[in-house]
Amino acid sequence: MEQPIPSRRQFLAAVGNLASAGWLALNWPQIAAAAEPAHAGHHMDMGGEAAALAKSLTPAEAAEVEAIANQIVPGGATPGAREAGVIVFIDNALGSFFAGQAPAFRKGVAEFSAGWAAHSGSSTPFSKASEADQVAWLRQVDQTAFFSAVRRLTILGLIALPKYGGNKDMLGWKLMNVEDNHVWTPPFGYYDVDYPGFQPYPGTKPYTA
Amino acid sequence: MASKTYKTSETVDFVVVGSGASGGIMARQLSRAGHSVVVMEQGPRMAPEDFEHDELKYRNLSGITNSPETNPQTFRSDPGKKAERVAGRNPLTYARIVGGSSAHFNANFWRLHEIDFIEGSRWGGIEGASLVDWPITYAELEPYYTMVEWEVGVSGLAGASPFDPWRSKPYPMPPLPVKSSGVLFEKGARKLGLHPFPAPMAINSTFYKNRPACAQCGLCGGFGCEVMAKSSSVWTVIPEAEATGRCEIRSESYVFRIGMNAAGRATGVHYFDSQKVEHFQNARAVVVCANGSETPKLLLNSATSAQPEGLANSSGKVGRYLMFNKGGGVQARFEHPLNEYKGANVTRILHDWYDADPKRGFYGGGGFDARSGGPLTWGQAVPEGTPLWGQGFKDYLASYTYWMTCSGHGTSLAQETNRVDIDPELKDAWGVPAIRVTYKDHPDDVKHAKWLVQRGIEIMDAAGAVQIDPGEVGAATGGVHLLGTCRMGNDPKTSVIDKYHRTHDVKNLFLCDGSSMVTSGRGQPTQTIEALSFRAADYINRFAKANEI
Repeated sequence: MEQPIPSRRQFLAAVGNLASAGWLALNWPQIAAAAEPAHAGHHMDMGGEAAALAKSLTPAEAAEVEAIANQIVPGGATPGAREAGVIVFIDNALGSFFAGQAPAFRKGVAEFSAGWAAHSGSSTPFSKASEADQVAWLRQVDQTAFFSAVRRLTILGLIALPKYGGNKDMLGWKLMNVEDNHVWTPPFGYYDVDYPGFQPYPGTKPYTA
Repeated sequence: MASKTYKTSETVDFVVVGSGASGGIMARQLSRAGHSVVVMEQGPRMAPEDFEHDELKYRNLSGITNSPETNPQTFRSDPGKKAERVAGRNPLTYARIVGGSSAHFNANFWRLHEIDFIEGSRWGGIEGASLVDWPITYAELEPYYTMVEWEVGVSGLAGASPFDPWRSKPYPMPPLPVKSSGVLFEKGARKLGLHPFPAPMAINSTFYKNRPACAQCGLCGGFGCEVMAKSSSVWTVIPEAEATGRCEIRSESYVFRIGMNAAGRATGVHYFDSQKVEHFQNARAVVVCANGSETPKLLLNSATSAQPEGLANSSGKVGRYLMFNKGGGVQARFEHPLNEYKGANVTRILHDWYDADPKRGFYGGGGFDARSGGPLTWGQAVPEGTPLWGQGFKDYLASYTYWMTCSGHGTSLAQETNRVDIDPELKDAWGVPAIRVTYKDHPDDVKHAKWLVQRGIEIMDAAGAVQIDPGEVGAATGGVHLLGTCRMGNDPKTSVIDKYHRTHDVKNLFLCDGSSMVTSGRGQPTQTIEALSFRAADYINRFAKANEI
């Protein structure tokens, strides 16, 4: 079996240098340290409150990134990235297991904000702009490496375990209809409810111990 | 019972390098025969409760695998070019814990078929490839396949597939319960006249050998099994080896060189402990079961003045003929929820296209399975045409439980230029020269993978999928099935080990893991690696008894 090829599908094809060099340059000891307080003493806890999460972004930076994340997975009828606490994950990730990428990411935030200011011609930050204006601007920059980086972090923050800061109250899993449980019994889904059992082929004689 | 411990100054009968699929069995069989054994494992020993359902850590952050930060590798597709590090990942991935990759595998246990051992004769020459017969046959390995199924624990339904090779015994456990992906896969395949059948899996379906049945948590591939239902060495043969009172599992012990004396015999292994302090363990013989990447690396890093091209490398074949298992498949969406995050990953497979067929116009054979993946891995990719952000992307995320994967697994042809060797510059966190990978797909492998994608589309279409997302077949840049790099053969000029896994060049040095394989098989090599280990241990014990080591 081969490893998944990074450029295999649309999302991955869109990831530029920042994202590929950044989010995949990993640091296991750091993530171990970041994770430790949350799961010490209760290894199987998946929904507990995160503890001792790292910080890496200024409030102003975090506001801009959160606004972008909330357009990637918007709220509405069901909670989106903001409600799921994705920004807490991103802040924590860039302060711990993705710390090596924090400088490039913060440079990306600065460039994004400068680009927005030039585009809008005002000092109002992106995060304070109207929904329509935010979407319109993101359509212009959604092929950049920075946007791809925010997008990947948003997905990770939405779905990774709450101990990393995001997926608050398992909202990411609820969006995906994933129940938080470790043990299942059949039937698992719609199609195996009425499975009649394996029917042998002509000429075969299945046998068991 | 506390595990036996040995001093490094003691000369043990055997050092086994690696504690995975092969190393665990080797340790059990050698120690049960009365030998003193030390197993060296690079990684830590994890208890059941140490394994977490943490997809970020295990699938994205090298939680239990060789990390690109500490164990870096380089890659190139052109042997004439400088190899470079691949951003953030290693080309060759393996689990770096006690139990090795048997701790984190999906647990698909397919036997090779009789044809796998004789394809060189059947096909003759293929341009650019080295497709040769194995020095052993299926008949010679069959008793050991059975041994794996009963000693390690495999569930399945014997005789269900018309394409199965003959067997001497059924599986000791019935198949795991089918999940929705298996039902749909079976429905589609049967409609096409194919023969899907219950997947043989190294996962307990019943209480067996003092281990429970699968809890159906849904996280197999990439994860350890905290209920010990997955038949990983760490839960099966390793405790049995330790129970002999003659086997020590020495974790966090990274072997970087094999010691040699002037007479050309191995004397033990040099290794770093958890504090990166260097030691030497004396041994009468060394068995390397370190996997298809680390085994050739260790031999090449063990060059001596008498064997300057690397240990046991008079043939020049150490590290060559690297194979993965090239495959292709599709993702498909159905009308109702499948909930694939529940249940063991694979429940149905088919082998109708196992044999290569000249009528296709290229060499290549394969099998298919219906499988699932965790939400974090799934959510990072979208089908062509799906919005990358906004409400459309959110809607896609909300459809997770409606999707399944239909994966084709196939052959990779051995090519002399595809290899593991030592990077001239890069070193790992211990200062050990790092792996350089050179790999380019054979054109037939690519054609076959694309052919598999088409078959996957047909099966899912026949199953009633409402959307099908065909996988792209790109150039291989790495793998997790690490095969062929110290191939077995009768001729010392063209192979590294003989049919008993003894190196042609060093009498008391044996190798047994994916590197021993002569051809790639069709995608699920672990049962073959374990059968080879049972067989190799049998012969090593016989040689030891006859004082022929």
